[in-house]
Formats: sequence, C-alpha cells, structure tokens
Amino acid sequence: MAPALRLAAALLALAGPALAQPARDSLTIGITQYPSTFHPNIDAMVAKSYVAGFTLRPLTAYAPDWQPTCLFCETLPTIENGLAVRETAANGRPGLRLTYRLREGLRWGDGTPITGEDLRFAWEAGRNDATGFGAAEFYRSAYELIVVDARTITLRFDKVTFDFASVGDFKPLPAHVDRARWEADPRAYRTRTAYDTETTNPAIWNGPYRIAAVQPGAGVTLERNPLWGGAAPAFRRIQIRTVENTAALEAQLLAGQIDMIAGELGLPIDQAAALQRRTGDRFRFEYHPGLIYEHLDINHDHPALGDRRVRQALLMALDRAQIVARLFDGRQPVAHSSVNPLDPMHAEDVRQWPHDPARAAALLDEAGWRRGPDGIRRNAAGDRLSIELMTTAGNRSREQVQQVLQAQWRAAGIETRIRNEPPRVFFAETLSRRRFQGAALFAWISAPESVPRTTLHSDEIPRAERNWSGQNFGGYRNPELDALLEALPEELDPDERRQMFARLQAIYSRELPVLPLWFRSDAHIWPTWLEGVRPTGHLNPSTLWAEEWRVRP
Amino acid sequence: MTRLRLGLLLLGLLAGGALAAPLLGLWLGHDSGAPDLFNRYAAPSAAHPLGTDDLGRDLLTRLLEGARVSLAVGIATALAAALIGTAAGILAAWRGGFVEALIMRLADGLLALPALPLLVVLAAVDPAVIGLPRGEAVSDMARIIIILTLFGWVGVARLARAAALSVLARDHIRAARALGVTEARLLRRHVLPALAAPVSVATALAVAGAILAESTLSFLGLGIAPPAPSWGNMLANAQELVFSAPMAAVWPGLAILAAVAGCTLVADGLRAR
Amino acid sequence: MAGAALILRRLAQIAITLAILSFAAYMLIGLMPGDPIDLALIGDPRLTAGDAARLRALHGLDQPLLARYAAWAASVLRGEFGYSRLFAVPVADVLWPALRSSLALLGGALAIAATGGVALGVLAAARPRSAGFVDAIAVIGQAMPSFWLGILLIILFAVTLGWLPAGGSAEDGGSALRFLVLPVATLAIANVAAYARHTAAAMTATLTEPWIRTARAKGASRTRVLWRHAFPNAAVPILTLAALDAGALVSGAVVTETLFARPGMGKLIFDAIMGNDYNLALVALLLVALVTMLATLAADLAQRALDPRLA
Repeated sequence: MAPALRLAAALLALAGPALAQPARDSLTIGITQYPSTFHPNIDAMVAKSYVAGFTLRPLTAYAPDWQPTCLFCETLPTIENGLAVRETAANGRPGLRLTYRLREGLRWGDGTPITGEDLRFAWEAGRNDATGFGAAEFYRSAYELIVVDARTITLRFDKVTFDFASVGDFKPLPAHVDRARWEADPRAYRTRTAYDTETTNPAIWNGPYRIAAVQPGAGVTLERNPLWGGAAPAFRRIQIRTVENTAALEAQLLAGQIDMIAGELGLPIDQAAALQRRTGDRFRFEYHPGLIYEHLDINHDHPALGDRRVRQALLMALDRAQIVARLFDGRQPVAHSSVNPLDPMHAEDVRQWPHDPARAAALLDEAGWRRGPDGIRRNAAGDRLSIELMTTAGNRSREQVQQVLQAQWRAAGIETRIRNEPPRVFFAETLSRRRFQGAALFAWISAPESVPRTTLHSDEIPRAERNWSGQNFGGYRNPELDALLEALPEELDPDERRQMFARLQAIYSRELPVLPLWFRSDAHIWPTWLEGVRPTGHLNPSTLWAEEWRVRP
Repeated sequence: MTRLRLGLLLLGLLAGGALAAPLLGLWLGHDSGAPDLFNRYAAPSAAHPLGTDDLGRDLLTRLLEGARVSLAVGIATALAAALIGTAAGILAAWRGGFVEALIMRLADGLLALPALPLLVVLAAVDPAVIGLPRGEAVSDMARIIIILTLFGWVGVARLARAAALSVLARDHIRAARALGVTEARLLRRHVLPALAAPVSVATALAVAGAILAESTLSFLGLGIAPPAPSWGNMLANAQELVFSAPMAAVWPGLAILAAVAGCTLVADGLRAR
Repeated sequence: MAGAALILRRLAQIAITLAILSFAAYMLIGLMPGDPIDLALIGDPRLTAGDAARLRALHGLDQPLLARYAAWAASVLRGEFGYSRLFAVPVADVLWPALRSSLALLGGALAIAATGGVALGVLAAARPRSAGFVDAIAVIGQAMPSFWLGILLIILFAVTLGWLPAGGSAEDGGSALRFLVLPVATLAIANVAAYARHTAAAMTATLTEPWIRTARAKGASRTRVLWRHAFPNAAVPILTLAALDAGALVSGAVVTETLFARPGMGKLIFDAIMGNDYNLALVALLLVALVTMLATLAADLAQRALDPRLA
C-alpha cells in the first residue's frame, strides 16, 4: 500500500497547483444521510437539521459553548430582565409567561418580513394533531400565543422549568406561503407544504443560504441568500453530498471530490483517526465530544443485576479507558454518569470506577458469586452468573465493543451471551416492552443540562397499562432519586440546581442504575483552508453559525 | 476434466481448512474469539500468519471458521434447492396436467420476480414470526438458507423437468410400462439416474450463488451477525478501514473468489463430461 | 392467430402474478417488526409514547394490515399511487429520477457485458486454444463479490491514480460519462461471464452441425461462417439471458449504487422496504416485475420468430 500511496501523493502534488483557485467561493461537504423531506417540523433527522442550519433559523438554540442563546430573538427572557414572569396557568398550576422580540430586519428569501404571524402559524400547526408534527411536548405546554405587535410575541406555558428560555427549536414558518395550504386541509399539509413541493422557492428560507437545487438521494445545492440580514457568508455556493457508505465517503475525500466531512454525520472515530495517521496534515481534524451517551441499560429484575455490588463489580471488571484508547483512538471521554464533562452541571468530584479486577472479584465473592470449576461464578444455589448482552445489529462499533466487554467479563468469571437485533426490533419492542434479560448497549441523546427524568424516574418504567410509555427500560426504582428528578426541573436558581445535579450524580455513580461507558465524539474533517467552523456536540448543528465560516487568507 | 479436478482441489482445500480450523487454533495457541486490543490490524507474523483483524483476532483462524459458516450456508442451500427442485421437476414431468401447470407457473413467476429486493424483504422479516430465536447465528443461517432456497429450487426444477420429460418419452420406458413395471420403480431406476448430471451441475452453481448472496446480504447489514464469522460479514466489517488495513478485506474476498470459482469449475467439469 | 391468443393468455398471467406479488409484498413488509412510527421514535429522542399513538392514528397505522392493503389496492386500481412516506412527495416524483439513473448505469453495464461476453464466447468457440483464457475471465468475473470489486476499482483508479471520480454523479453539466466508468465497469465485469458462457456453449454446438460444414465446403470465409451462419442460430439462448437481465435495468443494483453514491432503483427499493414506505416499495417492485415479465414475453416471441420449430 505504501508505494501506491506515495504515488498518489505525487500525483496530487502535481494536480495541486491546478486545483488551487485564486478565490475559493464554493464548498463541498460530504454527509452520510440524505434529508428525505425538507419540512423542518416533520420527521426529525440529523441530515435535515444539518441542512436546515444553513437555511432556516430557530428563535433560540444552544450555542457551541452549550449555553442557550438567541438566534432570531433579541433577548433571552429571564425572570431578572422581566421578559419571563411567573403566573398561574389556565389549568391552575404554576405557569410562565415569556415575551420574545424578533430581531429587526428579518426577512424571508422573497423579501417578506418575518413577523409574529409566522410564529403563530408554526404554533397553530404544531398544536393541531392532524398536522402530524413530530415531538409535541412544546406545543402541549405552550397553551397560548399572543402576537403583541409585528415583531413581538408572548407565550404562556402551563408548567415551570428552568430551561424555559430555550423554546425547543421553535421556528417561524412562512405563513404567507404555507398557511393557506395548511388551513385547506391540515391532514394533507404534510404532502402539500411548499418545503416539499417547491423546495427551491426562496420565500420559504430565511438563513444565510437557500436551497437552489435538490438532487434526490444524492445531495442538495445551497446558494447565498441575498436578503440575509446578518453577517455575509463566505461561500457563494455550498454543495452537500450524501455518501452513505463511509469507505466511499473517505474515497471521495481522498479523490478531492468533497472538501470536508461533517462531524455531525461523518466517519466513525476509528476510521477518521486511521485517515489522519495516513494523510498527515493534508486535512484538519477535530474530534469533538458530544451529548451522545453510550451506556449499558441493566435489567434490575435480573437476580444478580439487581444487586448494587454486582453492578459495581461489572463496571470495575471493564477497562473502559483501554477500550476507548484502542478502539476510539482515545478520543471519547469515559463517562462516570449521564452528565457530560462539558456540561455546566457536571460535578468534578463524581465517583469513578477505574479498571480494578481485584476489587471486582472481591465484590462478587461478597455478593455470593464464587468461581466454579469452569471459571464462571456461581451462587449458593448453583446458578451461573450469566448475562445476556444485546445491542443494535449492524452497528459495527457497538458490535466490536460488545465482543471486548464479553472477553473482559469472561476474565472476571462472568459469562456473557451476545444476542443482537436490528434497531427497529431492538428499540420498538425489546427495550420499550422491557423484554431484554440482562444488559443492553445503546445511547441516549440529550440536550445540555437535561434532567434524566424519563430514563430514571420510577413512573417512567414502561408498562402495558401506560401504553409502554417511558424510557426507564431497566426498571430502576429509587425514591430519593425520584424526588430529586421531580424537584430539579422546577428549580430556577442555577446555584441550587448545581447542588441538586451534584447529588444526582453522586447517587448515580454509587448506585449505577445504568453502567456508564463513554460519550461519543464527532470527527470533523476540514480542508486546511477552511476556518471558523465551531462543532457543538449537541442537537443544534454547527451549520447554525455557517456565516462565520471563512476561507483562510 | 482438468476443470473438474481444479475445482475439486480448490473446494477440497477450503473444506479441509474449515474442518481443521479448531486444530489450527490449538497449534497457534490462541482462541479465535478472544479480542486482543493491543494487537489490532497486526502485520503477518509467526503467531498470526495472515495478521489480525479489527479486534486483534487471528485472521487465518477467523477465515477458516468463516469457511464453515459460509460453506455450510452454500451447501445447505444448494442441497435443499436440489432436493425440492428435483422433486418438483419429476412431479411435474410425471404427473403432467394441472400439477405441472401449477408448478411451472410458480417457477416462472419466481423467476420473473426481482430477487434481491425480495431477499431484502424476507431477510428483514422478524425471525420470531417463523419461530426462530432472534439474534442467534444459527437462526441467521437458517433464515438465509430458507430464503435462498425459496428462489434456488426454480432453476433445478426446470432442468429436472426437461430431463425427466425426455426420459419418460423414450420407447423403452413405454415398453417397461406396458410390461407392468411399477411407476415407483420406473422413476427410481430410469428417471433419477438420468437427472444426476444436470442436477449436480445446477447444485454446484447454487453453492456458488448462495455464497455470493450471503456476502451481499452482509454488505446490506442483513447477513450473519457477529461474533460468528462468515466470509461475508468479515468482508463487510473490513470495508470501513479498507484504506488503512486492506488485507483484512482482501483475504475474505479471495476466499469467496476461490470458493465460487471452485464451484463454477466443478459445474463446468461436470457439464463437459 | 395462435400468436394473439398466446399473447393474451400471457398478459392475463402477468396481471395475476402482479396481483399476487403485491399482496405478498405488502404482507411481508407488514411482517417486518416495527412500523414507520417506531422508526421515527428511534430518530427523534423527544418523541413520547403519546406522540407515537397520535401519529399512528393519523397515518392509519392502527388499522389491521388487511384493511390497509385493501385501501391501498383500491386506490391503485383508481390510478392513484399515493405519496412516498419517506420523501413526502408523489411516488412518481421519486421513481423517475431513480429510474433514469439506473437505466444509464445498468444499460451501459449490460450492453458492455453482452457485447463483450458475446465476443469472448465467439472467440472461445472459434479458437479453442483461447477457451482457457476466456474461461478464466468468466470464472473470476463471476466469482468476485461486487462490492469487493468496486472498492478495489475505487482504490486503484480514483484514490491512487486519481483518473476517475470515486463516486457521485455529474453536476453543473459536467461530463456524466466520467462518473459512469467505474460503476459500469464493476457491473459489467460481474455480468460478462454469463454471456461469454452461453455464447461459447451455443456456438460450439452450432459449429459442429453438418450444414456449417457444408457452408465451409462451399467456400464461405471463416468470418462469414462464424457470424452469418453460426451466430444467428446461437442467438436464442443469448436473447433469453438478455430478457432475464431486462428486469435488472429497472431494479437497479443496490450494492453498486450504495458504493458509488449514485441513487438509483436498487437503493430506492432497499430504502423504501427498510423504511416501511409501502407506496414506494410496492410500486417499484411491481414495476420491476412487470418489466421482467414483459421482456420474457418479448424474448419468447422473438425466439419463435428465430426458430420456427418452437412455433
């Protein structure tokens, strides 16, 4: 391979000067998913939010520093600045009244000003069940929207949460284009919206770029939006190409067909690190840790796993630092609880469980699981310490990890049986109906400062009578934690909240309701001449700040 | 004849390797399933004649164990297809009339269907629906064998029917019938032997087709799930790092190439006889 | 006269097969675990079980499978193919671009495979000493898994030599041909073997016929005997093979399309099935089956015309 690579390098060096244009005004980005629809509120998917970051802006977002920030509003409402007011909601519960003022000079791509009516349309469409928007929690709790003047709205909520200012990803929808279509038949809006029937209509886009052309399944062409009021973006044209196969994506990067690979939908860490070792400084690499939390959900009804000592031993039998170092090039932070080290609420003194086979063995002995003749531990009744370990079939990285876990547990005298299922069965049936027997390896995606209520509160254990809602798949119960999870969202004082989060992490890391593994990282790969891309690591993509992207002079 | 010998030699080597896989593991002193994170993508050495894979496991041992899975899928599919196809072909030729029309229209219909998309639909069907445990290597294998057989018997059936028809039309068969030889004996003594040649050619080709189909399904994520190795899933796994560790993809690719070429040569050889 | 009756009977058979296929495919997709809303739940962590129930009712997914099939079949019979669930546009709007892409890809590949295969087959039959070489090409071409071959071609021609693009399709009116070379080559290499074998077998058989010897004895040139006398007789099995391949023209090649990032029918059908997009998956499957069966019918009729014994 080496001589061939040298040859390639030589050829590229020859081609280099010809490729270098005096002024770079276009950028080609490779991603691994195609945004199948373009309506921002129907079917959430990462590719769509990545493209929408260039073309549509929400009222607020989490900035790359993980703090909530205004994108289309002037000031984030707080109790202190008077834009947020506590009140009693219509249903008699404590509520909130928030006032947002749109920035001056905001326009749709056809020049129509963006007003409170556009926000009202988005809110009305979201509240109507027939429209079929995805997540409806925001629309349920925001029970009233008042358009105060063309640029000002007031929203009333029937609950109080500390993260009230970041109103989901509530964004204006073009009432002057889409309202009539929606009113004619909300059920058919999904297929009649201009986002999917006239995707290249400038009137429906409001970001620094607008969609100029769509190549179904293959990519999207963006052009500068001349009516964008913010900082002028550097590129005249941005081409986003979908290449689902990551080996093919890497080949296109090496062949010079794409300039960069987006970290949000890019190469696995392992592949990116190998590429970096081979190509040296031909590209710039940044590995950014994010809010995707890989962990093992534990079935607490399992006779052995219900015992805290066994869970602690399981974790100490694993060498997570070594796994991260070897399989992920050391680029993913080992997790000690569900709170990311980059999160403002992360506690520094959280308990860690480093690799310690001796202590793991002692704990297992103490819990009554002693080594049998074949090396597998047994309890007094003679039952083997055997765990079924499941994950999503077809996810190469998880399948790799799983086999390493199996080997490391085997060394500690724990038998692991691997049984994987395709994601659709795994999530839709096995997890949500609590049909997994031992441990399940998968990830949670969260927002900064998110309270893990749906995954840890005992009310959230899925049950048939509750239509299997809730995500506490392991069936963990802890009254102290329940109380904390109920109080936390309503605590508006950040210092108080920090203390409560610290207690949450202390309980979490002692009791180990789930076994933390690590937080996933994104591998961003940029050309050396590009600067200003700020990876976020959360659900708001780096493209929301695309006007800051610059060509290095 | 040389083609037949070459093909048999290739297949014999692969099958011998597959059978010897546990011995090789003992001799090299390691267990193919145990990951060794300090030894990922190691270069060939005395301990690892072909180097190691993405989890530091010995490639040669995995390749030979993969041979067991891949060859088992190929041979089981081919045998099942040969059995069903021969039975259906003889039945059609012997009974004629409505039965023949039914079988042959079914065969034509299956032949006209887009095979790969239907394989995808079938491969994604929940194994629990047909009573197989989910997520076990054995049920993956059973699932793949069943769906490949579903399409594989058609080719054999058409060949078998054609051959059987030509035998049944011969004068000595009519004479035997007139002499009161039973139908069962007729089929056993005269029809079956005449089918041996065409059916064995079709079976050899079916083995090749099943091995290739398994690798395609693995590429699409519908093949045999790890940790059990098959050539298809080894190849699919290796493609992500194909630029950094090309040999991890080259070896299973060559194994498939050798097996499929071996089957094709055997089929050619049998046909030429 | 018999011909017209035959055509009518075959057309009726085709219609019945399509009806059965649509039912079977609908039921099989329904048998896949999880429904579209389950898929959405995986993609969006903020969706709650309540949202799921609401969306299920909205999309009619709470109805029994048979009722949904009946509703689907009724609207198809009215000529309404509905909207693609994945892409939220009418099915035809997604189907046509994919079909064009697949026709270019597979049309090119099969044309090259057929001409190359026929040439190799004739060569093997005419010059027995070259038969071993032709055999080797055929055996190896057929035995390589297509994504393995595709990756090897990409590494060599796109990444190492930099001669050709590694995938994708032309934009801005650039030359579409450059983008087609590697994927077409991948598919052509895999398909050339079948044509070479069938041609070689048929030609070898024909060349031993007595009337060929007669033609030679009459002084016809070697080339003339080969192409004018022998080849038309050997063409029947090749035609049958080509007819079977016609289905591939519209069913695409999912592996090659994925590897070279060229969205075509193969990828579309795969995604539609995996995404529980009933409308799209069924229309695409039925289209493929229809084209295959019509091509087979055409091949049968052509065979009758070429070979009077079959009539």
